[in-house]
Amino acid sequence: MDLSLLPQALVSGVLASGLYALVSVGLALAIGVIGIVNFAHGEFFMVGAFLAYQLFVSFGFDPLLSLLIVAPALAVIGGVIYLSTIRFVLKAPELNQMLLTFGVGIILQNLALVIWGGDPRSIANVPYRSIGYQLGGVSVGMVPLGSFVISVALVAALYWTLARTPLGRAMRAVAQNRVGAGLVGLEVNRVYLVAFALSALLAGMGGVMIAVIQSPTPTVGLAFTLKAFAIVVLAGLGNVRGIVGASLLVAVAESIVATMVPGGDALRNAVFFAIIFLVLIWRSRKVA
Amino acid sequence: MSGSGRGAGSALRVEGLRAGYGKITVLWDVDLHVDEGELVTIIGANGAGKTTLLRAISGLVPVRAGSVTAFGARRLAGLSPARIVRSQVGHVPEGRQLFPLMTVRENLESGAEYLPHARASAARNREFVYGLFPRLAERAPQLAGTLSGGERQMLAIGRALMSDPKLLLVDEPSLGLAPALVRTVFAALQEIRARGVTVVLVEQNVQQSLRISDRAYVLENGEVVKAGSGAALLGDPEVRAAYLSM
Repeated sequence: MDLSLLPQALVSGVLASGLYALVSVGLALAIGVIGIVNFAHGEFFMVGAFLAYQLFVSFGFDPLLSLLIVAPALAVIGGVIYLSTIRFVLKAPELNQMLLTFGVGIILQNLALVIWGGDPRSIANVPYRSIGYQLGGVSVGMVPLGSFVISVALVAALYWTLARTPLGRAMRAVAQNRVGAGLVGLEVNRVYLVAFALSALLAGMGGVMIAVIQSPTPTVGLAFTLKAFAIVVLAGLGNVRGIVGASLLVAVAESIVATMVPGGDALRNAVFFAIIFLVLIWRSRKVA
Repeated sequence: MSGSGRGAGSALRVEGLRAGYGKITVLWDVDLHVDEGELVTIIGANGAGKTTLLRAISGLVPVRAGSVTAFGARRLAGLSPARIVRSQVGHVPEGRQLFPLMTVRENLESGAEYLPHARASAARNREFVYGLFPRLAERAPQLAGTLSGGERQMLAIGRALMSDPKLLLVDEPSLGLAPALVRTVFAALQEIRARGVTVVLVEQNVQQSLRISDRAYVLENGEVVKAGSGAALLGDPEVRAAYLSM
């Protein structure tokens, strides 16, 4: 293990954590406010990535500009999926809800396969993709840095919205007590719709960034769904700050192993989930 | 709170009301009326349908048949709880249904925040609530989930008052409270009524509730079996035998 790579591993991990946090807070919103375990969340991420890709190849739209188009598009797609499917299973057993969202995810994934095929797609020709900065022995790419800054800004915006705005208070109220929320004049179903659309929007914006960072295929969503679930479980529901911390922990650990351990890149996902398992075991012992 | 005084007209009219959960019907053709400014109590044994009656009026339980009309014209059956509270019908529900991770102040403000008519009178109502329950002012920055049972009950009543109701439905406010707190809560209900708010109270503490009531209904197995003034029902041998162990 080459310890001189540690600073690089730490910086890369911190930069990657932004995207994890962004996708995870979106999922936490759907679970916390609506109470729905959304296995299609990563597919919103994938749709965001491929919409940005399509806007780039068809119209030459820069991904930064695509963010402004993909965000409302994903909110609409999320809203339509909520109204046409999710709202009918809100009182159904959790297993039914999970099966439904899993099915929605598979449909989205297969639609993407039909439209874009199974090959990796990338937005490679943006001018800033090759820009990097050298700080001491650490190199920082413009794209990971930009992705981190945008993700952190979006997570902070969500945090501020939840804490300080009437919409945020409405979502917190519904999350904490649906009956009470109705009795103070909140149309709970409308709040659910907004929360689900916002959740899809956040995932979609993360997708735009992954289309520049990596070369995603239509199956990229599942890994992010699982990772987001793991982060939400690690952080605890309704805890934005906890999600940021959990994202940092797993992203940095993942990066350290991938960068410093020979052949570690293949162990990336294993490390991620190993940390989750360890924390869950430690937590259950504390409870017992 | 903008009640228009006693005897000014009908605050609530329930006719042929049927409601229940799933395949079970709890209320069978319930009829009752409450005039503006009255304090009316619904008494009955556990499972008689008292809570379901309040929940059906405030939209938490769907109405299967019959009608619920507030203030002479406003039909409530079929409306969501959010639309019913906009009709100035407030509900202090069973279990209080507070927001445990919000502060006392946030819980109170939530009562007015989403209702245009209540936002206009929020300052006046907040002052009234803090006057009614000074403990809530002391606990304003504290999370609702950390309050005692009595304080939670005060907060639930306070939050409903912030919605500027003309009609207030109150479900078992004395449940689980120490006698001193029960007296505080009952005194508060009288004060609320004195402000012109019509109160419909569901209560197991029959003696105390009938004492402060203008009228009362007795519910048995989802049907109204008796009605009369609070004083008359307190003297009724059947009521005394069934609910006062006399």
